[in-house]
Amino acid sequence: MNSAQYQHTDPVDVIVVGCGAAGGVMAKELSVSGFRVVVLEQGPWRKQNDFTHDEVAVMYRAALTNDPKTQPNTFRKTASEPAKRQQAVEYGRMVGGGSVHFTSNYWRFHPEDFHERSTLGPISGADLRDWPITYDELEPYYTKAEWDLGISGLGGSSPFDGPRSKGYPLPPMPVKSAGVLFERAARKLGWHPFPAPVAVISQPYHGRPACVHCGFCESFGCEMNSKSSTLAALVPTAVETGRCEIRPNSYVRKIETDKNGRVTGAIYFDEKKREIFQRAKAVVISANGAETPRLLLMSKSNRFPQGLANSNGNVGKYLMFDNGAFAIGNFEHPLNEYKSIVVTRVLHDFYRSDPKRGFYGGGGIDSRFDYYPAAFALDGMPKDMPQWGPEWKHAFGKYYTHIMGVLGHTSCLAVEQNTISLDDTVKDAWGLPAMRVTFQNHPDDMKAMRFILDRQKEILVTAGAKKVWVDPTTDIETTYSRHLMGSCRMGDDPRISVVNRWNRAHDVPNLFLVDGSSLVTSGRQQPTETIQALAYRTADYIQQTAKRGEI
Amino acid sequence: MLAAACWSEVLRAQSKAAPKFSYFDAATASEIEAIAAQILPDDDTPGAKRAGVIWFIDGALSGYDRDKQDLYRKGLAAAQAKRIEMYPGSASIAGLSATQQIALLKAIEKSEFFQQVRTHTVLGFLGHPKYGGNRDMSGWKFIGVEHKMAYQPPFGYYDAEAAREGQK
Repeated sequence: MNSAQYQHTDPVDVIVVGCGAAGGVMAKELSVSGFRVVVLEQGPWRKQNDFTHDEVAVMYRAALTNDPKTQPNTFRKTASEPAKRQQAVEYGRMVGGGSVHFTSNYWRFHPEDFHERSTLGPISGADLRDWPITYDELEPYYTKAEWDLGISGLGGSSPFDGPRSKGYPLPPMPVKSAGVLFERAARKLGWHPFPAPVAVISQPYHGRPACVHCGFCESFGCEMNSKSSTLAALVPTAVETGRCEIRPNSYVRKIETDKNGRVTGAIYFDEKKREIFQRAKAVVISANGAETPRLLLMSKSNRFPQGLANSNGNVGKYLMFDNGAFAIGNFEHPLNEYKSIVVTRVLHDFYRSDPKRGFYGGGGIDSRFDYYPAAFALDGMPKDMPQWGPEWKHAFGKYYTHIMGVLGHTSCLAVEQNTISLDDTVKDAWGLPAMRVTFQNHPDDMKAMRFILDRQKEILVTAGAKKVWVDPTTDIETTYSRHLMGSCRMGDDPRISVVNRWNRAHDVPNLFLVDGSSLVTSGRQQPTETIQALAYRTADYIQQTAKRGEI
Repeated sequence: MLAAACWSEVLRAQSKAAPKFSYFDAATASEIEAIAAQILPDDDTPGAKRAGVIWFIDGALSGYDRDKQDLYRKGLAAAQAKRIEMYPGSASIAGLSATQQIALLKAIEKSEFFQQVRTHTVLGFLGHPKYGGNRDMSGWKFIGVEHKMAYQPPFGYYDAEAAREGQK
């Protein structure tokens, strides 16, 4: 591999900030099509052999994620209360980003997700809007993402999916015991379960080996390269072009602009916390739905006193989180769900918002097991029994191989008061203002969560669970999320959105924001495929417009 | 082969000799271990003691969780005060009867200190053995995890059953 190496003073064509699910796509697509690209990734560049099965390091010591000890968040429910130090967002912090450690559920949004405002009308207390684009406009890029990355699934198996131009490149993964029980119960209830589409390859693909079912997908990196992360599937291609330089451990603190209001490059701290200014003709920020607005807000200048691309004050607003409750059941015989991928069956019967229910939203439901051993003993056990001592010990010892979970992925409404902002009273380890998260669920979020939870419990009971319990045990509002959406919304109207239909900042012609931040609605969570489809589409647009000299 | 065998003997002898704590003194270790042993009791199956949980906690407090030393110091002092209140004349938590220990821990189970010891105890029992706990993978064996790097279907009873039905 002959990776490009650029001088800082050499204005490259494009800087991509963040090499995650979207940034990895941008890096690969732009370098393959001839652009000179520098990727600034705050996390390290791990190789496949660096990934372990170490629950302590990964789940309890932030080995692969933003570490609250060096990158603190502050949190408050509303702007009227003081924000206290509390981790509210979590993201994959490495080359490959969230695509390395995600569960690997790979769902398209449904056609109706793009025009819910027109269909349902306004929702009180929220700002529900249509997307400026349709499912049909995005469809070719969904297909491109599935075939470029390597997705396993069965096209057409869900009656609720939108039309697709092509099936999946790989057959579904083998069904697990939880998937079998889920499917039997859902069919008995008259519903339509289908094989989970996942970013894990069931057969060899593009030089990568098929999954060996080790059981460490969610939160972990794949040591087999069988998870279709941008790290495994795209970054090598980008580097091999000789035009893409990936700089890990590079923490961007400001996007610079000139007097004409165009971006000129990025100032970042390298591994030794030395400040470097890299020049570029255009900048793509793919830092995720929380860090992207934070970086824009930190990029204040005389011309952009409220932060970059923020003339209308919308940067950071309409943040949407990952909602959903988890129901667990234990069964007579061993399921051994700790083996293989997390999810093998999915249900979208309650995805669509139905006005007859009296609230906005719905959810997707999947069969899954996402407790590693310590997390299960600590947090996964029924709360109607002691949480320490001999009874608890023998119960979790017996349950661990005999349980399955059913997770709801439910809607989150865009609310103006839910924001990412800067907290000048708390600094991160680089001396930058901490991320302040203000978030409170809309009442309809909670209604959708409860409605879907009842369906989850029905599945477990119908499947023959001996005991069913719920985590969290009561209606706990979302205060923490790994899906970070909606903080720099896409729209045709520059007064109420941050980027246009091509993910290009309304205020700054050579700045693109490509990640969860541009999502107008939350779908029913599992946003990775939509984020990546938008990235493929934006890369296409940049190629075409640059050719015409319009960037 | 002989050399290798000898070397492993040396290591074993060394580990038997007198492993040293990085953070705890012996008296504190004995108090914390007594608490951990009520959270995960040793019985006919391994618990906190046999799994070596105290070694995990010692490593955590001298490493990643060194910012929790203060919580341990203050929390243990509060637990001792509670012990003296409940059992005047007693000398240590480790010296209490099992029934007394359980009563004491019930009295402090909502505290941040107890919750932290509980978290560390479970991580020491079920976390990777390289941290000093989960000795001989005793925690993983206890919950029925095979701990292999790869598996093949069928994974459990119900998918095996479905595969049999599918073949009929």
